[in-house]
Amino acid sequence: MRNKLNQSDSQSFLDSISSKFSNIVNEFDTLKINVEASEWTETMSILKNEFELTYFSWLSAVDWENEVSVGDPPKESVNPHFEIICCLSESVEGNLVLVSTKIEKDNPSIDSLVNIYAGSNWHEREAHEMFGIDFIDHPNLTKLYLPDGYEGNPMLKSFELISREVKPWPGDVDVEGMPEDGKEEGDS
Amino acid sequence: MDTTLDPNNKPFVSDASVSVEIETEDMTLNIGPQHPSTHGVLRLVAKVDGEKISSVEPVLGYMHRGYEKLAEVRTYPQITTLVNRIDWVSGFANEIPFIAATEKLMEIEVPERAQHIRLILTEMARIASHFVFNGAYALEIGALTPIFLAMEDRERVLDLIESVTGGRFHPNFNRIGGIKPAAGAGPTTKKDIQDLPAGFYEETRIVMEKVLEGVERFENLVGGNEVFKVRTKNIGIITKEMAEDYGVSGPILRASGVKFDLRTKTDFLPYEKFDFEIPIGENGDCYDRWYVRLMEMKESANIILQAIDSMPSGPLQTKVPKVIKVPKGESYVRTENPKGEMGFHVISEGGLGPYRLKIRTPSFSNISILPELLEGQLLPDLIAIMGSLDFVLGDVDR
Repeated sequence: MRNKLNQSDSQSFLDSISSKFSNIVNEFDTLKINVEASEWTETMSILKNEFELTYFSWLSAVDWENEVSVGDPPKESVNPHFEIICCLSESVEGNLVLVSTKIEKDNPSIDSLVNIYAGSNWHEREAHEMFGIDFIDHPNLTKLYLPDGYEGNPMLKSFELISREVKPWPGDVDVEGMPEDGKEEGDS
Repeated sequence: MDTTLDPNNKPFVSDASVSVEIETEDMTLNIGPQHPSTHGVLRLVAKVDGEKISSVEPVLGYMHRGYEKLAEVRTYPQITTLVNRIDWVSGFANEIPFIAATEKLMEIEVPERAQHIRLILTEMARIASHFVFNGAYALEIGALTPIFLAMEDRERVLDLIESVTGGRFHPNFNRIGGIKPAAGAGPTTKKDIQDLPAGFYEETRIVMEKVLEGVERFENLVGGNEVFKVRTKNIGIITKEMAEDYGVSGPILRASGVKFDLRTKTDFLPYEKFDFEIPIGENGDCYDRWYVRLMEMKESANIILQAIDSMPSGPLQTKVPKVIKVPKGESYVRTENPKGEMGFHVISEGGLGPYRLKIRTPSFSNISILPELLEGQLLPDLIAIMGSLDFVLGDVDR
C-alpha cells in the first residue's frame, strides 16, 4: 500500500491556490481558476514560479454560442464568447489546475504562452485553426492539422458537418429502448 | 573491452570541422509521410547540413479525423466507440479516462469487480503496446529478429483481451457504470449476468509467465547488444525541465528521472491495492526510454498476477438510466495511458452528448518536442530518437 494517495497535500495546495486567486470553482475533482484575459500570461507566470506547476498539459478553447448547427445548444442562454482553458500540473504530487478566461468573439485574440511554456506552441496553433483565435506574439501561428487553403474554423458551433447536412444522424433513434424492453423504455 | 564498442565513447562521431571555411547550403529532406519508421503518416521536413540536422518541422494532419467535433454530435455511449480508435495500439486504455470523466459527472460508483477487470485489461493493453514498441524499435535500429518475437508475445496478450471483450484492438468494452458482460461466457440474457470466460485465470497466469520470460529475453537479446547500446546511449537526451515544459509524459518523462506515474496519483482505478515499482531512468536518453518501458511490462505483469489473486466478487454494472443524460458540469480526468497522460475534458450541458469534449492525447505533446530535440543531431540518430518516443499517429492527430 505504499502508493496511497496523499489527501492532505492536495488540501494544502487547494488552500494556497484559494488564498491567491478569488474566482475559483472546485467541482467534480476539477479545480478551475477563472481569470481576466488581461491577466492571462501573468497568472501563468505566477502558477509556474510560485506554485511550481511546471508541467504544461494542454490548452484549448470552447465556443459558447446559443445558436448551434451541430449538437445541442446550452440549456440556459449564454453570452456568446470564447473560453480559453489551459491545464497545468506539477510532477511530484500530481496537483492539477485548469485556468480559464473569456474573450470576445469579435477579433478574438489573447497573449501567447510560448515564452512561459514552450509546449503551448502546438496547442495554440490548433486552437488558432479550429476556432480562429489569434495568439499574440506566437512565433509560428500557422495551420497545424488542416491543409493549406482550407477555409473556415471547424470547431466553431456554427460550422456545419457536411454529412449532417446531407442526412440527419439517427443518433436519437439509437438511444431508444430495444423493442422487447418495453417496460423499461424511456427516461428513468 | 574494445574501445570502439564503448557506448560512452562515441568513436563514430568525428569532429568534422575543417580549417577552410566553405560556404554550404542546407538541403531540405522530406521524411515521410510513408516512411516505415514513422508509425503512421507523419511527415518531417528536415533541413540538413551534410549529416547534421539544422532544423526539423513536423507536418501533421494526415490522420486527422476530427473526433472532438464528432463527439459533439454523438451520445455518450457512442463516444466510447470513437475513443477506442485514438491510439489503436492500446485501445482499451483509451476508454478509461472518458468513461471515468463521465462517471464523475454522473456521480456513479462503479462496482469493485468491474474496476478490477478494467484494471487488468488496461495493464494488458499496456503490455501489448510496449511489446509493439520493443519489436518496432529494435527493427528501426536495425535488428530484424525482435519484431517477430514481440508480435508472438503480444498475440498471446491480445488473445486474452479478445477472450474477455470479443475484440483484439477495439474492445469497446466499457459501459458507463461498469463493463459489458464478457464475451464467450454463455448466452446473453438479462437473467444470468455473464462474467469472465471459463479458464481465464489459469490462462492469464500462463501468459504472464511468458510475458516475464519475454521481457527477460528482450533484456538480453536487445539490451545486451553492443550495436543497440551504441545507437541509443547518450542519444536524444531529454532533460526533466524540457520534458515538463512541453508536457511530455509517461515513460519518456520517467526516463528523464521524474518519478511521476498517474496510476499512483489519481483514483481512476484501484491501483493503490497493488504493490508495484515505478521504473525511472537516469539520463533521459533513448536507451533509458527503451529500458523504462521494458521494466514497466514486468511491473504490469506483476500487477495483473496480483489482481487475479485478489479478484472481488459482485456485480459488473451499476444501475444506470436507460437513456444516459449527464448533468450540467465539467470534469477533467487524466489517466496513465501506455504512452503517457491521456485526459478527457468533458463539458456537459445536461444533454445526450457533451457540449465540448477536449481530448488530451499523450503522443501529441510527446512529439511536439521533436523540433527542439532533433536540432543539431545527426541524421542517422533521427530514426533512433523518433522511435524512442513511441508515438502513434492516431494519437497525435485524433
